[in-house]
Amino acid sequence: MIKIGIDGYIIYGLTLSVLTWSFFKDKEKTKKGVLKGVKTFRKVLPIIVPLFLIVGIILTLITPELIYNVLGEESGILGYVIGLTLGSVTFMSPFVAYPLGAVLLEEGAAYPQIAGFLVTLMSVGIIYYPMEAKFFNRKAAIYRNLVSFIGAVIVVFIVLVIYS
Amino acid sequence: MKNILMKNKTFFVAVIALVVMAIIDVSLTYNALGNTLNQLVSMIIIVPPIFILMGLMDVWVPKETVINLMGEQSKFKGMVLAFFLGAFSAGPTVIAFPIAHLMLNKGAKYSNVLFFLFVWSSLKIPIIFYQVTAIGLYLPLIINVTMLCVFIIASLLTKIVFKNKDISLYKEKAHNMSQK
Repeated sequence: MIKIGIDGYIIYGLTLSVLTWSFFKDKEKTKKGVLKGVKTFRKVLPIIVPLFLIVGIILTLITPELIYNVLGEESGILGYVIGLTLGSVTFMSPFVAYPLGAVLLEEGAAYPQIAGFLVTLMSVGIIYYPMEAKFFNRKAAIYRNLVSFIGAVIVVFIVLVIYS
Repeated sequence: MKNILMKNKTFFVAVIALVVMAIIDVSLTYNALGNTLNQLVSMIIIVPPIFILMGLMDVWVPKETVINLMGEQSKFKGMVLAFFLGAFSAGPTVIAFPIAHLMLNKGAKYSNVLFFLFVWSSLKIPIIFYQVTAIGLYLPLIINVTMLCVFIIASLLTKIVFKNKDISLYKEKAHNMSQK
């Protein structure tokens, strides 16, 4: 059930190498660095836990089946809007979303709405808004999400022109 | 009381949603909590080494180096570096914000940090490769090239959108995060 994955191995490998290098170079500094890392982790954890509660709820309510049904049925402007909105609020791994998009396209769903869904899914993270607002402020969080959303709308237009 | 509510808004919203779901169908709530637990477990596995790495970077990478590479005077070089840091990174978005803080604290320019966050969220190279294998070349090409252009423009506009007041607030928050 629990997978570490290739990036997991890379991260562990990299951390171990840096840690070993650091340890032989300067033990005091290494201790300081590790402690700093642990402290930051402890500060971030209380922000992450409620966030993951929301993620759990979203994963339960907005399932791949639901997205399959909604994006497969709707088309036209409404379909584009639904694609952009679903992608913005949902949390889903690209490893689930892209194959799902491929299936939908094969079954005749319109390209622009699938593109809109896939772009906003990656770049617009309404879920991260509270965390981002805490780390920076509301303005920074809104700016980043708004820019990404505008980018997604541009993508939808380009796809609309190219694929029609 | 109101203060506690406001400080933990996300938590209370989640709890209310879970209660409403339980009223409709208890299995929904169980399901959601199970998903949360899964997410937490996979995070606990992957995230701790990243924080250790960040801590080590913090003590080893001199501030002058970051200022030189990504600071106010870094120009094009800073953006290129921000791009590579975001594109070749791994890990969930939740750790992008602490890393962004670390960069700010070391003297990186805010527009570069913002660009890093943009790239991190949508232009990770390993994921782009996966996109191409899953859905073909054209759609990911359109998506990623468009988004890259939009992100570059948006990062160049930070000077206009964000006032010095905002940026010093971010620096202060980043500084506080690394203290205590």
